[in-house]
Amino acid sequence: MGNPDGSIVRLEGVHKWFGDNHVLRGIDFALNEGDVQVVIGPSGGGKSTLLRCVNLLELPTRGRVWFDGEDITDVRANLNEVRTHIGMVFQSFNLFPHKTALQNITLPLEKVLGLKRDEAESRARDQLTRVKLDHKTDAYPGSLSGGQQQRVAIARALAMRPRMMLFDEVTSALDPELVGEVLQVMKDLAAEGMTMMVVTHEMGFAREVGTEMVFMDGGVVVEAGDPREVFANPQSERLQLFFSEVL
Amino acid sequence: MSDNPVDVVDPVLTAPDTRGATSPFARAIFLVGAAAVILVLLGTVAVQIDWAMNGGPVTQSCIDQGIIPYSPETDAGPASGNKGAEGVCHIVEGLTSPAQAAVLIGAFLLGLAAVIAGWSTYRSMDTRRKRDHAVTGAVLGLQAVVLSVVLWVFVQATPEKFVSQFLNIQALKADGSALIRGIKYTLLLAFGGEIGGIVIGLVLSILVISKRRAVRAPATVYINIFRGTPLIVQLSIGYFGVNLGLGLHLGVFTVAVVVLALNMGAYSAEVFRAGIQSIDRGQMEAARSVGMTYLQAMRFAIVPQAIRRVIPPLLNEFVILIKDTSLVVVLGLPLDQLDLFGAAQQGYSDTFSATYFVAVSVGYLIITLPMIWIVNQVERRLRSGLVSITGGGA
Repeated sequence: MGNPDGSIVRLEGVHKWFGDNHVLRGIDFALNEGDVQVVIGPSGGGKSTLLRCVNLLELPTRGRVWFDGEDITDVRANLNEVRTHIGMVFQSFNLFPHKTALQNITLPLEKVLGLKRDEAESRARDQLTRVKLDHKTDAYPGSLSGGQQQRVAIARALAMRPRMMLFDEVTSALDPELVGEVLQVMKDLAAEGMTMMVVTHEMGFAREVGTEMVFMDGGVVVEAGDPREVFANPQSERLQLFFSEVL
Repeated sequence: MSDNPVDVVDPVLTAPDTRGATSPFARAIFLVGAAAVILVLLGTVAVQIDWAMNGGPVTQSCIDQGIIPYSPETDAGPASGNKGAEGVCHIVEGLTSPAQAAVLIGAFLLGLAAVIAGWSTYRSMDTRRKRDHAVTGAVLGLQAVVLSVVLWVFVQATPEKFVSQFLNIQALKADGSALIRGIKYTLLLAFGGEIGGIVIGLVLSILVISKRRAVRAPATVYINIFRGTPLIVQLSIGYFGVNLGLGLHLGVFTVAVVVLALNMGAYSAEVFRAGIQSIDRGQMEAARSVGMTYLQAMRFAIVPQAIRRVIPPLLNEFVILIKDTSLVVVLGLPLDQLDLFGAAQQGYSDTFSATYFVAVSVGYLIITLPMIWIVNQVERRLRSGLVSITGGGA
């Protein structure tokens, strides 16, 4: 089939039911190389579920997801291979608590990519340096602050050298003074041209860094477009109401 | 600059003591209560030691009670009397001696005094430490009262029968070394069962949490059968049924270890399942999101964390297993491989002295008490976070 439009990710008519709960009600969009798509909207609107449908942590009940021209909702797709190309960072960090910062990063490099230990470690150190945590190499997650843990989690995802990154409300669990250091890492990453999909409540970040904005509510994309325009000129009543509440 | 005393902040090293001072009266209640307990315990022991060291031959009153000195077979007639009569007599004489009576009456009166004084005054004590002393003294006094009354009743009854049945040290000489060997074989049975059980349990627990019913079903059936039938029945089926029936010609000991492992596997499977399911879902998602397979995620992310969490319940199961090894007696281990209980059983049938069962209880305690202590230490550490389950170390 290929990806005739050159998109890296494409969703076609994606629906998701959890039991009787219809969480996603038909989502279509495509992401091109270098796009930074920010997804905003009220809680329970389906943002996180949408994100998790991109690397198939949640299997869409109906519809298709294409990654790099491959239909990954096909049962024959090798999801483990696909996921090595899609980094994901979670709201609750999800670092492995029994591994040091360095081991958290080297574990998938060795076990999934099959790198030699010294190669994995040098890659891990590079990533820890990038997130300014090269002095915390041997620290366990339990002794790191929330912001530091989240930066290790980002480093863990980046060390896989993914084609794109998914960020699922990565600053929501952080104390306010720790949010900045994580957003800075993400800004730098966007500036380097990484393709990103970012579910966030940080409106400043969304406006500043996003190249594409999606407003979701009730399981559908209510409004989409250039962030600056969407912020300046919300068309729908629901988005106007949302902005009046969060801004 | 730091020499400047203004810069030095006086550190508060510990929380201040706010329990107040005690009074001579409150302290006296505590000391009297403690003295009563010490008297009844150490006094009884001291009387026994005195009799054991200086008791001499079997006394006439013992002979009157049927504790006859042993005389071996001679030309004059057959063997008569009881082996170990001296030891039994010393214990009985000690228990019924005036010194023991004085100890019991003294401890009773001291204890009673502490109970009355403490109970009637603790409410009016005006500091916390006074109150603690009064209450503790009353509680210790009560313990001394109960102990002395129980011992008194025992001494007034027929201690000679109890002692000659259960506390005849001499009787242990017949098969005593078998008890020492018994510890070895009990430990072999227990460790064999435990190690096999952990391996079986880990595999079963992975199967049992599968989302596919076809994978879950056999593991569930296995666990329910082994948890739902008595171990003694499993041992019997394993040896008399499977081993002899199929002509496997395995030794009793081998079959016992295998059945113990199969049984332990079912129980530890449940422990592992609970441990694995207690790990946050995000751990699995994080592992899968970097491309690990389900089994890789289990092996490198989930199970290592789960094992730390299940160490206390697993050790508890191990303590239970140590005691359950005694059921192997139904299979009749060979004489040179007897476990603790088997050795006691053998000793009892040789001497008809229940002292073997007292001795074997001590044998089990020697094994289980350290295990119980370890469980408590591990649990306390896990709870206090000194050694966090994150593996960060102390």
